[in-house]
Amino acid sequence: MNPEFESVILAFAGSAALTSLFVILAMIGTLNPYHRPGIPVLGASTVILASTYLFARSAGIAADSAALRLTMSEGVLALIDILPLVFLVSTFLLLQASLRKRPEDPLLALLDSE
Amino acid sequence: MSLWAAQVWLGLSIAVIGISMHRTGPAFRRHSFGAPVALLGLAVMLFRVEEPPQPESGVVAAVMGAAMWLLPALAGSALVLIGAPLYWRTRPAPLLTGWALIVVAWFQYYSTLSLALLDALRWVSALLGVILALAVFMLCVRAAERMTPREPETEGLSEKERKYVESILRRHLEVADEP
Repeated sequence: MNPEFESVILAFAGSAALTSLFVILAMIGTLNPYHRPGIPVLGASTVILASTYLFARSAGIAADSAALRLTMSEGVLALIDILPLVFLVSTFLLLQASLRKRPEDPLLALLDSE
Repeated sequence: MSLWAAQVWLGLSIAVIGISMHRTGPAFRRHSFGAPVALLGLAVMLFRVEEPPQPESGVVAAVMGAAMWLLPALAGSALVLIGAPLYWRTRPAPLLTGWALIVVAWFQYYSTLSLALLDALRWVSALLGVILALAVFMLCVRAAERMTPREPETEGLSEKERKYVESILRRHLEVADEP
């Protein structure tokens, strides 16, 4: 496979797998009695396994625990690569927040009118 | 997998769990364990006795490299959120300090930037991977919610409950100029 194309596929598989891992960890961190995490965890685990398989096929290695580690590592590198895009968007939002005027709270007006 | 490789993934997992815990609760009072757990995770991930094997050593090196611009970016964003007129009145000192840190972060990032066409393709590919994972998660949440039996409609608030809710709103909205 073309090394450039392979690099693009690895970034895709890695970021999908790592995002799914983050989703599972976020569900653990926010667990509460009203949670029904069964189906979302199953879906996220499926994405992790499918991404690892895709990664292993693209890299020409066995789809084992070492491939899982490589997929997650590639995911960390890929997500770090796109963090500046997130920072660009958040800089714009922070600029908007800094320039805005604090609005009068409609809830207080509602309370006062009653 | 070696102990030091496991330590990197354990630290990353604890950090993400801590960040998620911190996002629970209302904006004016976050989960008190969130930030300490996230910092513990980062410490477990980054401080170690021995160098972890590949690919984990590459992960740690990339995180340390990104921290050069990520730390001022995070600190600056937090200060701007404190100083901007979102929850309280405008506070010029944290607002200006925050923007100074954000400028430093962009400068740090720009000084290490070396963009090639392949990098742009990898960005797009990574974004698509993130979108795919989130789309699958949302579909799964939707399926889980559809399978949940509907509960009967809740009755309206009693007079006592109305007064209680009103007191909460007044406490958090009227005296909201101090954190």
